[in-house]
Amino acid sequence: MTVLARLLTAAVITMLAASPVHAQDAPAVDDDAIAVDREKGLPEWDKIVAVLSHPRCANCHVEDAYPRWSGAHYGTTRIHAFNISRGEDGSGFGNAALRCTSCHFSSNSSKLHGPPGAPLWHLAPAEMAWWQKSSAEICAQIKDPERNGGRTLDEVATHVRDDPLVGWGWVPGPGREPAPGSADETFRAIERWAAAGAPCPAD
Amino acid sequence: MRLTVNGNPIELDADPDMPLLWALRDLAGITGPKFGCGIAACGACTVLVDGTPVRSCSLPVGLVEGEIVTIEGLSGADGLSVVQQAWLDEQVPQCGYCQAGQIMSAHALLEEISDPSDDDIDNAMAGNLCRCGTYPRIRAAIKRAAVEKAKTGA
Repeated sequence: MTVLARLLTAAVITMLAASPVHAQDAPAVDDDAIAVDREKGLPEWDKIVAVLSHPRCANCHVEDAYPRWSGAHYGTTRIHAFNISRGEDGSGFGNAALRCTSCHFSSNSSKLHGPPGAPLWHLAPAEMAWWQKSSAEICAQIKDPERNGGRTLDEVATHVRDDPLVGWGWVPGPGREPAPGSADETFRAIERWAAAGAPCPAD
Repeated sequence: MRLTVNGNPIELDADPDMPLLWALRDLAGITGPKFGCGIAACGACTVLVDGTPVRSCSLPVGLVEGEIVTIEGLSGADGLSVVQQAWLDEQVPQCGYCQAGQIMSAHALLEEISDPSDDDIDNAMAGNLCRCGTYPRIRAAIKRAAVEKAKTGA
């Protein structure tokens, strides 16, 4: 089995474990199905989008092919060094002989500027872009099974709570600001937001 | 702990957090992989784990799963590997310090893409820095090795 085949197999297993409902089977979120309570729901969304748009998450949720670097030591956000990209095959795992997993292992380097790590380190699919997206754009994406990995909102919530790569955002290693809150707090915010009808901001 | 390096099982008494590079160089005496930056930013320490190039300076030895191949493991009873021979033929190295890592990445590239384009080479090799600037010769050597591999089936 080739290197890429092994990575993709592992990724598919992870995705299936995280989202047992396939895209075509997942019910689209319908604001009419649940009474939408914007007063209750929007403050919860604000907590959620503060996480999703945080650099620890958004730097690898990009629309183009290039992960970003940012933080106190980097000045302005910049493109990942070493010509790293999504990969000619579009897998998100990088290119032949220079996969994300050549440097990003299953745990963080203890060294400042050493490579952060979590299992199956890779770029999110382009349709899940959050970097430089507005709150409304991210909200629309996260509710859309066509663009969220075929997940219901309950599955989005458990994915955020349980996925090791997502969880890295709150324990990002030395020199990096963690995403706000915690995985469990974000899980509960998504549950409350969904219960309030999952309202999105106007812009 | 037990590792397999270049086809040989070796027993090491190492802290699981010790970087693989330290285990290879200081405990196993395998000194082909070089220490450069210590943060996976230069590629001098590159080895293969189950065929994937990894930066051994940043990989805790306790996380290693699979067979390790270092530059010492590329050559065999038949002599140098095709990539190593191409490196000599193109006289790639200047100071030579980064070249073990360069060759490991080039070897892995050719295992996945037998006839790499310039873009394939750029995409694969950009994590291996050469302060002598031997990049044009690295590119030439990879292309030469691709031709030789196609001829010999190596």
